[in-house]
Amino acid sequence: MTIDIVLFGLRVISGLLLTGFLTAILVILWRDYRNAAVAVHVNRRIYGQLVALTQIENIYAETGARHPLLPITTIGRAPTNDIVIQDTFASSEHAQIILRNGQWWLEDKGSRNGTLLNGDPITTPIIITDGDMISIGSTSFRLALS
Amino acid sequence: MTSSLTIIEQQTAINHNRIERGLLLLAGFFLSVNFLGLALLQDTNIGHWLHFVTWLGCAVSGHLILNRYLPRRDPLLFPVVMLLSGWGLILIDRLAPIFADRQTVWLIISLVALLITAIFPQVLRWLRIYRYILLISGLILLISTILLGRNPSGFGPELWLGIGNIFFQPSEALKIMLVAFLASYLSEQYLSLRADNKMSRFAGRFAWLSPRIVGPIVLMWSLCVVILLWQQDLGTALIFFAVFLILLYVATGKTFIILSGIGLTIMAAFVAYQRFSVVRLRIDIWLNPWLEADGRAYQIVQSLMAFGAGGIFGQGVGQGSPDYIPVVHSDFALSAVAEEWGLLGVITVIVCIALLVTRGLRIAAAHQERPFYGLLAAGLSSLIGIQSLLIMGGVLKLVPLTGVTLPYLSYGGSSLLMSFVLAGLLLRLSAEVRST
Repeated sequence: MTIDIVLFGLRVISGLLLTGFLTAILVILWRDYRNAAVAVHVNRRIYGQLVALTQIENIYAETGARHPLLPITTIGRAPTNDIVIQDTFASSEHAQIILRNGQWWLEDKGSRNGTLLNGDPITTPIIITDGDMISIGSTSFRLALS
Repeated sequence: MTSSLTIIEQQTAINHNRIERGLLLLAGFFLSVNFLGLALLQDTNIGHWLHFVTWLGCAVSGHLILNRYLPRRDPLLFPVVMLLSGWGLILIDRLAPIFADRQTVWLIISLVALLITAIFPQVLRWLRIYRYILLISGLILLISTILLGRNPSGFGPELWLGIGNIFFQPSEALKIMLVAFLASYLSEQYLSLRADNKMSRFAGRFAWLSPRIVGPIVLMWSLCVVILLWQQDLGTALIFFAVFLILLYVATGKTFIILSGIGLTIMAAFVAYQRFSVVRLRIDIWLNPWLEADGRAYQIVQSLMAFGAGGIFGQGVGQGSPDYIPVVHSDFALSAVAEEWGLLGVITVIVCIALLVTRGLRIAAAHQERPFYGLLAAGLSSLIGIQSLLIMGGVLKLVPLTGVTLPYLSYGGSSLLMSFVLAGLLLRLSAEVRST
């Protein structure tokens, strides 16, 4: 009689321990995957792209073309550039956008007709941010960061 | 910069130790409760306690040695392996006490093997550079089993090599040897296997015809057929072929490989069903065991009964009657678990195996820039996965029964030893993962 009670108690404890083992494993796994997800989020590359715009009677509309930015993105008329623009006002090597210390810099490469940032010509490398408009000749881009 | 990194690393190492210690403690409590129950039920036998103490010694020393030499390992692998192997000891004490001493000795040998493969970094290098020696010695083992094979019980398939009273099943060692050989071979071909995708459209479409891919497929397929023909060892042949296909798929990323592999398997199954009585028996009793419940399907029917009798929480250790199943302690270990620990126990076993497989695949994914490590981890973890699926599905009548052991849990010295070597390799590979 007593041995039955002891055995029953042992069964209950063994069941509880199994449940405990399972729970511990699930908790560890859950923590592990959460940490991995955080690490992925932190390590994600800063991502930016240039959205090509077209001007229709003082209103800018997106043409649909989007150019993802590389750590060094060159813009110009020559086919060797990362972003090639068909514009007679653009120089063959016109401007470049560089990622430096987590920020995007716009730099004119000594072009003949200059590079405009939000309508003003730039003379030195300058930090650009989300929503800035870059104009080269009659071609315009808007910077979109995510 | 570097000092802060090492502090973080030390922190994770301490954390890992705590996780491993906690899980080992839980496993130890679980096993001690069950050993106690068993001791109360059976004649008080000092041997049982000796087995438990041996397990305890293995767990503690393994944990401490791994802490000392391998602080950056995956903390979940070792406790899971120890829980399953300790559980296996209980099952043998319960079901086949005459084999229990032997299995305990094998556990010690296996633990030593695990520690050696985990601690010495040269092991991985040797596996890679001596791959043809590996392949040839594997084939010699296979041929010598075909020629000199015996069966310890005196009848049945002759899959063992024996010296005196010690028997070893070479196909267990052959599994790991072949995975290592294939991982090494494919990692050398890795770039060209991948580059085929980027060739011209015509060449890309027919790239799979290149002897680089077709050659090993044909070789492995014929090897499996040899195993099937001469040894009548259905399970091992299936495992070899499936693991090989998975490795080739991981290396090349071509869906065609999986499809053609399934096609070849179905073809082989048809032919085998026509030609071999063993295969026909297995498939017949899988489709309908109840016609011959007293005869050829007795084992599988009793296994189903055991699952039914177990219910959700099981009957308690030593209180069920899984011994109605013939040779329950080796292939049918899961049925014994089901009867005495119920659904809860079965789920724990499945979670443990699934954990080993998924952690292995994660280790593989973390080694993307080192193809040999990645392929080795993927191959080893799919080896555990396929073998467990085959036997767990088999005893539940989900797939035709193939006589393979359930890793860590089943009785069998060579199976235990090779499973521990496999775990040691996974531990080593997990420690090689570079922290980002």
